[in-house]
Amino acid sequence: MAATGPKKRRGCLGCSFPVFIIIVLVFGAIFIMAFLAGPIGKQLVGEISWLDWMSVERPEPSLPAPVLFHIFGLPVTNTILAGWITVVFLILICWLITRRMKLVPGRLQAAFEAIVGWIYDFCRNTAGEVNGRRFFPVVCTIFLFVAFNAWLSLVPGYGSILFGNHELIRGANTDINTPLSMAVISFIFVAYFGLKVLGIKWLRQYFNFGPVFRAIGGIFKGKFDFMAIFSGIIDAFVGMLELLSRFITIISFTFRLFGNMTAGEILLLVTAYLIPWVLAVPFYGLEVLIGFIQGLVFAGLTLVFASMAMTSHQEEAN
Amino acid sequence: MDAAAVKLLAAGLAIGLGALGPALGLGILGYGAMQGLARNPEARGAIMTNMMIAAGLTEAIAIYALIVAIILALVA
Repeated sequence: MAATGPKKRRGCLGCSFPVFIIIVLVFGAIFIMAFLAGPIGKQLVGEISWLDWMSVERPEPSLPAPVLFHIFGLPVTNTILAGWITVVFLILICWLITRRMKLVPGRLQAAFEAIVGWIYDFCRNTAGEVNGRRFFPVVCTIFLFVAFNAWLSLVPGYGSILFGNHELIRGANTDINTPLSMAVISFIFVAYFGLKVLGIKWLRQYFNFGPVFRAIGGIFKGKFDFMAIFSGIIDAFVGMLELLSRFITIISFTFRLFGNMTAGEILLLVTAYLIPWVLAVPFYGLEVLIGFIQGLVFAGLTLVFASMAMTSHQEEAN
Repeated sequence: MDAAAVKLLAAGLAIGLGALGPALGLGILGYGAMQGLARNPEARGAIMTNMMIAAGLTEAIAIYALIVAIILALVA
């Protein structure tokens, strides 16, 4: 614990020593009380009646999102509500920032300009100058939605306000349908650019039956080339494998995001149960980092696959 | 063994064995990033970003095992 303040002011972490000692003592007392009130302390020393107000009920996480109500026969779950809140939040904050743009930006405008500019540089560095500009809108949208979803679901009120028997709002990506739909959108995006730039050549990577049919056709013309048929079959098989791996990509996109968000939620619940009040605090910081990284991974992988789809295999070999 | 005991055992084994591979992967990843950083300290930003993405990908494999464990222990 080195003193970090300026030289004249003695103290620790910005507080004078008596204040610092009081803070440490209070925090230590809360920690010990919370430890005794939690399940581990109950096992060790038995129930302490006057600490009951501190202990938290055992959490019972449910994986499928519960349906809250119906609009025109369509079920609305609590995760959908959270998704709408994220969208409205992003639209509002972007409208507020861009309404009065200044050449010398204010604090909020500077923060958003830094985020968006950083993603823009990331796109251009990964996909090149022209393609980076093309991919930027979708990639940036994916990043902002995923990251702000994760960050907003750390705000108090998410998961703690009850509606009937269920939480009113729960982070949108803890329902498997939201990551799945985003993965499908990213797949369509990649396929669109692949078809647009490479045309039929993009499909030929996956349905590569040309060589084998040509070799079989050669039999009727009188030249039987066993090696050509064999390598044609292998080409077709490799194409099928590529197609399969493309669909497995959707599944791994989905489960990566869903798993990270759900595991984060359950981790917070369990830590809040084990040592109430104290242990969950550092994990909130971890969740902030994880939300950022997951947004970056989802957006970055979409970007990489899109820029890979725009270069054919022949070009790669040269 | 009764069904509940097997379920708990399966959940523990799932996350324990499933975390082995990603743990090794993260170790190798950190090793590579540190080596790169020591050789070329100017490339700190690029190495950091790419390491984070790769770490996210590696962690996801442990998360798959974690989902299986959670489903086994809490839901199934």
